[in-house]
Amino acid sequence: MSQASQTKAEAILMGNEAIARGLVENGVHLMTAYPGTPSSEILPSVVRFAPEADPPPYCEWSVNEKVALEVALSASYTGKRTACAMKQVGLNVALDPVMSAAYIGVKGGFVIISADDPGPHSSQTEQDSRLLAHFAKLPVLDPDSPAQARDLVATAFSLSERFEIPVMLRPVLRVCHARQNIALKKPKAVSRPADFVRDPFRWAAIPKMRLALHQALNQKLVKIADYVSGQKKLNTWHAEPGDKKARLGILASGLPAALARDLLAELGVDPQEMGLPFLQVAMPYPLPLAQVERLLNGCSKVLVLEETEPLLEMLSPRREKLLGRYSGHVPSAGELGPDALGAVLERALKEARIKTPAPRKTVLTVPDQAPLRRPNLCPGCSHRAVFWALKRHFPGGIFPSDIGCYTLGLNQGAVDTCHDMGAAINFAAALSRSHQLDGVERPVIATIGDSTFYHSGSAGLINAVYNGARFVLVILDNETTSMTGMQPTPENGLTADGHPGRAVNLTRLIKGCGVEQVEEVDPYDLPALAKALRKAHRFAQKPEGSVAVVVARHACVAHRRDEAIPHPVPIKVAGSAEKRPPMHDAQAHQCADCGRCVEICPTASLTRTAPGVIQVNAETCSGCRLCAQVCPTGTMVLEEAHGCVGCGVCTTLFACPALVPGPGGIISIDPAWCVDCGLCRHVCAHGALIPAEVAS
Amino acid sequence: MSRFSWQAVVAGVGGQGVLFVTRVLAGAARRKTKRVLISEVHGMAQRGGSVVSHLKAGPFFSPLVSPGQAQTLFSLDAGEAVRNLSFLAPGGSMIVNAPDTSYLSGQALAALYAHQVQTLVLDASAMARDAGAPKAANVVLLAAAAEAGALPFGREEIWSVLDESTPPARRALNRKLFDMVACDNLAAL
Repeated sequence: MSQASQTKAEAILMGNEAIARGLVENGVHLMTAYPGTPSSEILPSVVRFAPEADPPPYCEWSVNEKVALEVALSASYTGKRTACAMKQVGLNVALDPVMSAAYIGVKGGFVIISADDPGPHSSQTEQDSRLLAHFAKLPVLDPDSPAQARDLVATAFSLSERFEIPVMLRPVLRVCHARQNIALKKPKAVSRPADFVRDPFRWAAIPKMRLALHQALNQKLVKIADYVSGQKKLNTWHAEPGDKKARLGILASGLPAALARDLLAELGVDPQEMGLPFLQVAMPYPLPLAQVERLLNGCSKVLVLEETEPLLEMLSPRREKLLGRYSGHVPSAGELGPDALGAVLERALKEARIKTPAPRKTVLTVPDQAPLRRPNLCPGCSHRAVFWALKRHFPGGIFPSDIGCYTLGLNQGAVDTCHDMGAAINFAAALSRSHQLDGVERPVIATIGDSTFYHSGSAGLINAVYNGARFVLVILDNETTSMTGMQPTPENGLTADGHPGRAVNLTRLIKGCGVEQVEEVDPYDLPALAKALRKAHRFAQKPEGSVAVVVARHACVAHRRDEAIPHPVPIKVAGSAEKRPPMHDAQAHQCADCGRCVEICPTASLTRTAPGVIQVNAETCSGCRLCAQVCPTGTMVLEEAHGCVGCGVCTTLFACPALVPGPGGIISIDPAWCVDCGLCRHVCAHGALIPAEVAS
Repeated sequence: MSRFSWQAVVAGVGGQGVLFVTRVLAGAARRKTKRVLISEVHGMAQRGGSVVSHLKAGPFFSPLVSPGQAQTLFSLDAGEAVRNLSFLAPGGSMIVNAPDTSYLSGQALAALYAHQVQTLVLDASAMARDAGAPKAANVVLLAAAAEAGALPFGREEIWSVLDESTPPARRALNRKLFDMVACDNLAAL
């Protein structure tokens, strides 16, 4: 139960909830979003607060960020207050409409929330959305805390309406995922009957008009900078310049400003007592120049603190006075956490000959740290079965993958590329094409989640089919957006705020993209999955073939555990057994020289020394028996041990956190992790993982 | 009221309830000071990876704890406790869910001793398992920490926030776990 749901005057709110609170308190009428860490909780929180508003806002999970942005933007043309939320890489997807939106502007207030991820903790890049705001010529607000984020939503709406321009709110992950006690305000009733006033010269401006709009935009930005310069609340002086020129001042925005205040206190430096002028700007672009000039005039040097790129630094005059990323005082990559920022402050204070009564020192250092625990697919996740099948049946394959939980297929060696939303399909088309240009057929099997497919996969699939690409696409369909917290997808037709939606059938969509070979399969049925994959591969391999799609559908185990594991199969380890290498018994059998054993060997212990002759390196062989399992003629010989030999196949190629290797690699099952999915019984080639009933 | 100042780090791995513990501690801290800030880890870490959250209550502006500043390190996992030791301030308290102290090297033990860190080690997982609630080690450890005086809150202060933050269906279980923890079965280092 969240405290936010209580109708108390105060609640401890997550930054994303605080932003949602700001939206509802300021009468947002329509809100769109596509989920992505660290922004995902904003829209569901608007839905949660919505009953307090009159009228409650319409909310939707859009299929991608470009759609979300266009829906919210154009709704503001009717006078409504609107917002859209996304993570920073989502802003890249939405950039096309963002660029035009700056020129054309809005009627009702429109706030673009782009959540950044310095670090990065859960993203492909640590890009700074403020730079994209600058690039698009949009004002951007940079909150330092959940409380300020809530308050800046009101500022964003008011700036947006006063100047008829979209305004970006850019929280970083440490604001989105921080929690803070916040006094709740009653939502304002903002009455805006929809009224789209036709104005084709603006809403459908031709290129010639765009020049005039660009000129008008430039004037708007000067006015916004002037206006915000005069707003005390948006330009906080933690210490003002005195009559005497200070040796050092600080210019900051966002989280680094808040962190610097804490770190200065830890160092024993009170900016007011020490004569250290400190200006925090809420709007880094357009720069409130009058305030910044006052700081620059009052200081010999100014340390600039911001995340993640040098925007304030780039926009500030008098660059020779600035200490920041260009001068090498602030690291150019990574999060400005307490360690990094503490070092920056200490150096700048030292160079300015300002004493730090309590210098930083690490007191407790422990060199023998445990390695950081790697994230892994949940026990019982059906994706694990798919990745196992890919490695087991296509050991020489190329596996482009995409953005979602299933990126964790990396742990199983079944993810070769991960780039951006929807890229897997286009990468698969190009990776197979490049080899085919040289007359080489390598199995190329792409994996993509259902939500990512709806987001931006279908365009790639149309392109691949149209252009005659040949590869296998596996859609990992767990009927939800798991990584970001179980948001619904178009597949089930559920909507964000419960307004009536319509399901968009996945298989019909795939067929509509021109795919002729589609098969639905439950990955929990590993033999059926293997059969479907091989059939798809055969179809894609034929010169007259095309893209073959396998829809691997199974409920998400974290979302709907009972549906995901309807028939629990407790597994036991059948005991340990002696490790032996296989024999290549070419006298008794005829080696087909197919190379499958060499390809599948996880330790590269098999070498083909002559046609039909395989040499086994007994030193490196793990005794896993995969080669004997795949040998079509029975030439590779190794009997089933009916016990664990400690080969490590289940921990590497299946990588379930419930399978824990002990001394000698002998596996035990950790009951804290095991969910009795029973999938691992198909994995061990020695029959060591068996249903508990059989064992007893 | 405004004098209260407390920084804590709560650690564990995904699924152990690190964030729940942090929110209970934050609720208790809010009753003693005007401003409470928490930093949480989401996303990839939730898939069984390391999870750590920071809590600052009092005259602070950012949610991140600096190394050497935390009065309390509360860890639901032994390995994660060691990883986060550097956050502890001298004279602080460490509360760890572990069967024994074998996870600490001689070097770490010496450092803890030299910096007068009070250490409370409890096999909360085993106690929770024995009580038939294997996922509730976090509640057991919370109760133990309060009972041992390792938190700036009394046992009843923690209990009342915990009870408020718990769905009705789980309240009886929490009460049972809470009462199970008495001084005599705590082993302090």
